[in-house]
Amino acid sequence: MMSIQGSVPLSRENLLWIFAAQLSVLLPHFTHLPLWVIGGWFAVVYWRLEIFRGRRKIPGKWLKLCIVVVTVVGLLLSYDQWFALESMVALLAVAFTLKNIELVSRRDVLLSMLLAYFLVAALFVFKQTIFFTLYGIACILLLIAALAAQQSLATARPWRAFSLSLRMLLQAAPVMLLFFLFVPRLGPLWAVPQHAAKAAIGISDTMSPGDFSGLTKSVKPALYIAFEGAAPLPHQRYWRGLVYTQFDGRRWHMTEGETDKINQSNMVKQRSLSKEEPHLRYRVTQEPSHSPWLFAMVQPTSTTLGVQDTRDGRLINARPVSSRFSYQVHTWLSGKFGGREALSDIERQQNLQLPAKGNPQARAWAQELVQAGSSAEEISQQLLQYYNRSFTYTLQPPLLGSNSVDEFLFASRSGFCEHFASSYVFIMRAAGVPARVVAGYQGGEWLEQQKYLLVRQYDAHAWAEIWTRQAGWQRVDPTAAVAPERILDGLQAAAAEEFLQGLSLSRRLPGLDSVLLEWQMLNYHWYQAVVRFDGKQRQQRLQYLLQKTSRLHFLWLLVAVFIALIFSLLLLRSRMKSGARLHLPAERLYYKFCRRLARVGIKRDVGESPRAFSWRVEQQFPRFGPLVMDVTAVYEQAAYAEDIAAEKQLRRMVRGFWPIIFSGGCR
Amino acid sequence: MKLWRSTASFSAAKENNPGGLADRWRQHWLRWLERRSPASSTRVLDHSSLLILPTGAGMAFLLVIFLLWLLSTNYMNNLIYGLTFLLLSVFIFLPLHTFANLSGLQVQFIAAAPAFAGSFAEAQLSLAGAKGRAHGAIQLYWTKEKSVPVDLLNNESSLIRAAIFVSRRGRLRAPRIKVESSFPLVFFCCWSWIDLDIEFLVYPQPKSAGPLPIAAGSNSTLQSLPQAGDEDFIGLKPYRLGDALHHLAWKQYARGRGLHCKEYARGADRQLWLDWELLAGRDVETRLSNLCSWALEAESVQLAYGLRLPGQCIDPAVGSRHLHHVLSALALFQIQGDGAC
Repeated sequence: MMSIQGSVPLSRENLLWIFAAQLSVLLPHFTHLPLWVIGGWFAVVYWRLEIFRGRRKIPGKWLKLCIVVVTVVGLLLSYDQWFALESMVALLAVAFTLKNIELVSRRDVLLSMLLAYFLVAALFVFKQTIFFTLYGIACILLLIAALAAQQSLATARPWRAFSLSLRMLLQAAPVMLLFFLFVPRLGPLWAVPQHAAKAAIGISDTMSPGDFSGLTKSVKPALYIAFEGAAPLPHQRYWRGLVYTQFDGRRWHMTEGETDKINQSNMVKQRSLSKEEPHLRYRVTQEPSHSPWLFAMVQPTSTTLGVQDTRDGRLINARPVSSRFSYQVHTWLSGKFGGREALSDIERQQNLQLPAKGNPQARAWAQELVQAGSSAEEISQQLLQYYNRSFTYTLQPPLLGSNSVDEFLFASRSGFCEHFASSYVFIMRAAGVPARVVAGYQGGEWLEQQKYLLVRQYDAHAWAEIWTRQAGWQRVDPTAAVAPERILDGLQAAAAEEFLQGLSLSRRLPGLDSVLLEWQMLNYHWYQAVVRFDGKQRQQRLQYLLQKTSRLHFLWLLVAVFIALIFSLLLLRSRMKSGARLHLPAERLYYKFCRRLARVGIKRDVGESPRAFSWRVEQQFPRFGPLVMDVTAVYEQAAYAEDIAAEKQLRRMVRGFWPIIFSGGCR
Repeated sequence: MKLWRSTASFSAAKENNPGGLADRWRQHWLRWLERRSPASSTRVLDHSSLLILPTGAGMAFLLVIFLLWLLSTNYMNNLIYGLTFLLLSVFIFLPLHTFANLSGLQVQFIAAAPAFAGSFAEAQLSLAGAKGRAHGAIQLYWTKEKSVPVDLLNNESSLIRAAIFVSRRGRLRAPRIKVESSFPLVFFCCWSWIDLDIEFLVYPQPKSAGPLPIAAGSNSTLQSLPQAGDEDFIGLKPYRLGDALHHLAWKQYARGRGLHCKEYARGADRQLWLDWELLAGRDVETRLSNLCSWALEAESVQLAYGLRLPGQCIDPAVGSRHLHHVLSALALFQIQGDGAC
């Protein structure tokens, strides 16, 4: 019953179709595939075509074995992480390549074609924008066409194969839509390999001087935030993501294990904060960051599955965000958090930690402040004033040595947000005030049309939080002291010239920028409607439909469907009976001819036979007479004698017949 | 695949398990087929005779769909869900395409050429597509290895040769022929077993029995022969000036073998008789095979030959019609009513 014959050798068309299909699915992966895999694929394709031309032989067993060994070693060298998506894609690409060498039987072809679907799926794991979705669909179109083209020479012709494939996909689309809307989604069944976390763009789990200025060069969107109700004011837009508590003299780290510390008092907190208090509801859509940290305003909770809040008032996801992820956030605007609660000993210790040595000047200065009898607030105030007086905010801060805080505070006096936050927290800790560095995004561009706040990578920011007995944890942004416009108007305002230099062309050309924004908005809606579509939405849609449709409606619907069914059946029957006559190509051509004649006022009467019509034309419009007579004769030959040559002749005559030009030429 | 073998008498493998369950099932199946698509030399394929099932490739495709579903579930990725469902829907609609590809197809039996036992017999069939529809990659065969897919574009028809291995001489009714296609994708196979009422004449398998029995013919059997007329054709000789023009062998000349003259002999003394009795001591089939081989040899050297079988004799002559006459007699010996001399 298997209809794959091994006996007929693959034709040139077969091979070209396969290679085209393979190239189309490999193309988007070229960005991350090692060069030798890509080169290898092209080389093998060339080799296989040479075999087809008879210039080379199909490689023997030993040569094949050698190639397999070489590629396996190559893969081992190229990828250190095996359970990652990139290496899986490379494995698939290599499987293609190796199979291409011995692409002999129909079975090999089938295997190759089936493998290709996984590469399309892998593409969808990496990218979910409209562009790549369309590209993926185009790949499917090509894959199905390529498989159909393997069947016969007639379908190997591109037009025929593509139209067949398109027809099949269009037929399948409505059913696919039904499946998509109504098939329940299960959660992940087991852990799957994620990206090999290159973390190309985004905030990482450590912070050292210079990290954030790198981010300012990226205009890539990081978050899209849609609010229920009014958006918060610019100075409130702090999107907290990470909290660094450990300092090793140069680099800030998260405390080991702190990320996993889930807030146990979640329920208590929810009860204690009543609904009357000002609160904010919003939905954050986050671009893939390959880390589990989510971004929200202070003291958030989330109802989204898998999102938990931590004791230090952040949200984290159960798994790294490897593709766009959207979560609902509820934030109380009461400002202070953890307010009345005293710090536990461990927390206190963590938030006062300083390296044993280094930065003596800063320590000494902090001690001076303490000995002067200042309170925590006063020390903070003095520090901020100091920043304000004699510091500059720059995207290109000078490099710092081993005592980075000292150098920044007393020598260079120019830096970026992380320098300010880092030195601020250092001084506060040295003065005995629990403090920590917070990283996330600040600000965002409110898009009035699209009703969301677009936060880009260059909005990445670092600030500080200090703890006092009276107020609990409170936010202090040292950057605001030196460059308040950074907080109110964003980075562009704070360092306009430097900013524009560092950015790509698109930000400098306003027209292009708006086009890009439109595109991003389209992608956003695409993401909200399709990519993020989940079970809850499905249920809502179903419920909505059920509520909307009463029983009477439903009955009408059934009747309508029934009638439509019967109609289509009848139509099908009549078409099957008379279809051949109605759609004879010769008749179609003749009608076309008549339509063109009608444009110059020569109309065939209803029920007038072609021959009678031609006689009438000869009498009334002698100019057209011979032509109409000829066409009629050829048409009769084509239609009644079913003469293929006559049909071709007729097609030629009708195609070349443009009566307006014709009459113009006659005058 | 073996279904058709049991229909006709010439399968050697069929009587392995006469009373078995499989055999009874086969009989049942054949009766069912007989009811649904009775024998006829022209047949238009429709739902009454077409069967359709997913192929192994189709199963592989389903496996791919399942794996894609796993991928989409584990990554909670809606685009992969979409891909999975799209492929599934394509798979669901595919049988319609595959079925439509064969339905409406007209298969007609044109002619069947006689063949020798132990070789392939060929039948000529015509395939015609339904009006206004294209049919792709159709195979028509008894033996799959010998078939080539045919495409029929708009209103085309095509002549196809289908070959079947014949093992025994006689008049053999061909089993059902299979029309098959897995177009457009290989995931479903649609097929039909149709009985086009084809009958093959199968000559015995030629087996050499030494040189032509020219001497033997003149010795033992000449006396009993009746005088077969004055002019009996015995062979060709090169043309010489003066030979009668009406004796020229035009047929050979036309084939480019040079100008020959037909040689006729008076009396029967130089006639070759292929006689059943010459081969006494061998079994029936071997005797027939040997006679067959002699007839072919005599024909190839253009020597007039006659055939004598028990209760049947064919006067010596030469030519393709005569050969067919002789070989038919051998093929049907003791199978059908014996022809009188």
